Amino acid sequence: MPLIELKSVSKIYPLGSQQVIAVDDLSLSIEAGEFTVLAGPSGSGKTTLLNLIGCLDEPSRGEVWLDGQEVGGAPQPQLAKLRLRKIGFIFQSYNLIPVLTAAENAEFTLMLMGVPKSRRRQRVVELFAELGLAGLEERKPSDLSGGQQQRVAIARAMASQPAVVLADEPTASLDSQASEELLALMRRLNREQGATFVFSSHDPLVISRAQRVVTLRDGRLESDR
Amino acid sequence: MDLVLLAWKNLWRSRRRTLITLIALSFSLMLVQAFHNLSYGVYSAMIDSGVRAGSGHLVVYHQDYVASRDEQFSFAPGQLREQLSALAGVAEVLPRLYLPGLAQSSRESRGILLTGVIPQAEQRVNPFLRDLPTDQQLESLSGRQAILGSRLLKELQLKIGNKFVVTLQNASGDLVSEMFRVRGAVQTGIKTIDSSLLMVGHQRAAALAGLPGEIHELAIVLQSQKFERLVFPALQQLLKNHPQQVGLSWEEAMPNLANAIRLDYASQKFIFIILLLIVTIGVVNTLLMSVMERFREFGVILAVGASAMRLRLLVFSEALLLGLVSMLLGSALGSLATWYLQEVGINLRYFIDETLEFGGVVFDPVLRAAWDRPYMLQIAGFMLLLSLAAAVYPAIKAGRIKPAEAMRHH
Ligand SMILES: Nc1ncnc2c1ncn2[C@@H]1O[C@H](COP(=O)(O)OP(=O)(O)OP(=O)(O)O)[C@@H](O)[C@H]1O
Ligand SMILES: [Mg+2]
Repeated sequence: MPLIELKSVSKIYPLGSQQVIAVDDLSLSIEAGEFTVLAGPSGSGKTTLLNLIGCLDEPSRGEVWLDGQEVGGAPQPQLAKLRLRKIGFIFQSYNLIPVLTAAENAEFTLMLMGVPKSRRRQRVVELFAELGLAGLEERKPSDLSGGQQQRVAIARAMASQPAVVLADEPTASLDSQASEELLALMRRLNREQGATFVFSSHDPLVISRAQRVVTLRDGRLESDR
Repeated sequence: MDLVLLAWKNLWRSRRRTLITLIALSFSLMLVQAFHNLSYGVYSAMIDSGVRAGSGHLVVYHQDYVASRDEQFSFAPGQLREQLSALAGVAEVLPRLYLPGLAQSSRESRGILLTGVIPQAEQRVNPFLRDLPTDQQLESLSGRQAILGSRLLKELQLKIGNKFVVTLQNASGDLVSEMFRVRGAVQTGIKTIDSSLLMVGHQRAAALAGLPGEIHELAIVLQSQKFERLVFPALQQLLKNHPQQVGLSWEEAMPNLANAIRLDYASQKFIFIILLLIVTIGVVNTLLMSVMERFREFGVILAVGASAMRLRLLVFSEALLLGLVSMLLGSALGSLATWYLQEVGINLRYFIDETLEFGGVVFDPVLRAAWDRPYMLQIAGFMLLLSLAAAVYPAIKAGRIKPAEAMRHH
């Protein structure tokens, strides 16, 4: 059974009197442990697709299955719980809560889950060591570089050991070297810890590092290799 | 707990805005507390002097005397005075006989209210008598000495030591006269009292009226107003043996003063509520601004798995902390202001020259505050509630944020 399965999913946004078909009758399945990139030009539906998988949005048609469970149409509090337990999120930028330190940001999902402070800290120290963030625990996000901020976001996404980490253009605000480093790090976590990653990008360099490339165009699957 | 910590940190994110809101909240709380305590102090003093010079905290009348003020409704107090004096919290019990009559000097005559009292007891509690020099005080229950209102003294063209005659109708309806001698004069500042008061020993007055041992009023002065709750029920109990008599509180016996105070408190309350509401609107604005600024951040928090409820709680926690801090700060400032107003007070002499009268009672020109701690606590709690109420709309706003949209547009 695939970890993520989209069955003939469409997402249609009303736009004035017209409609925008952001995702058009798309079917896709992703297995646990995959390292998948969603590629495609701007407006092709990458963000929309990630939002559907991440339970941030509901499909207009079709079914979204996550870890053997259909998630479309569940009430909001339940979706929040699902996001908390099964999904890690990384966004393009401004991921972190500015008043919290790097470690507190990374602990945030564990805090929401009610994990005791000492266990939380222990997990974050491990992750920080692994992500090359050791010693930066008490820094505020504003005192970190863009690459470091994104790594803190990875730490937060990984802290609760979710079924899948979703990242929407995680390298878009980084220079090429930082992008390269971040990607290498995600790839290592994927190999060593078996973490499932689904992320979007239109950077050819990033795309070339992925194990599987799903290319979208106008909300449809253009290629999958 | 972590949520509260996050709320606290969020509060100090826009330090200036939070400080301004805090100051607005604290200052309005201080104003309300200090202003209330000032009027509380002034009224307490007023009630105290009104009660001491007037009918006491509690008073016993013949049931028909209350409405008619007809001197035929006198009564014999029996053991009441001794029984009441024995109660805890009772400072003085004052029997009084009130007889309307006519005073005549060699030159003038005036209508008066002959008041038979126990001089020593009155001197102990009545602030106007207490201020008289010893050689103007009444010396006995049965003597011919009299203390007159200052205006009456002037109108009768009398001087201390002069003789004059009082004529009144006795209990059997006959006109009787008696000679008195001016011992002293009091000035209360209240026109009707100063122009009609004629105070003499109780025995002499009762004998003249043919009502030996009888009184019209038994005024009970308490050590402080708070004993009223204790003594009033005891009085009612004692009065079971005196079915003709009724016991009243000062509010019933001096309705003018009580109503004046009530009216003033009511208008104050109105102003206070408006003040606090205006401040609350400011708090709504602050909280709403801070929620709108964090639209995207809230989107991230929701996306990573926080429920909308938790976000609402976060906003409420921020309001709660804001309210708590201003509650403490405001109460500290309010206490400081109260302390100043109690120690130094406000001297109205700088502003007004005349005697100050309010609801038929003269008061001290230096206004002084007194501590009304339950009220201070109550109003501080009320402010905390208002800050929470101010968070309702911003919290609803925060709870409605859709993470996907927040991320796309902000
Ligand atoms: N809330 C919305 N309301 C209306 N139209 C929307 C909304 N969200 C997305 N769209 C439209 O849906 C289409 C797909 O958008 P989406 O953001 O998923 O593309 P994308 O591949 O992520 O683009 P980019 O690379 O620019 O991020 C676009 O045409 C977009 O304008
Ligand atoms: Mg996008």
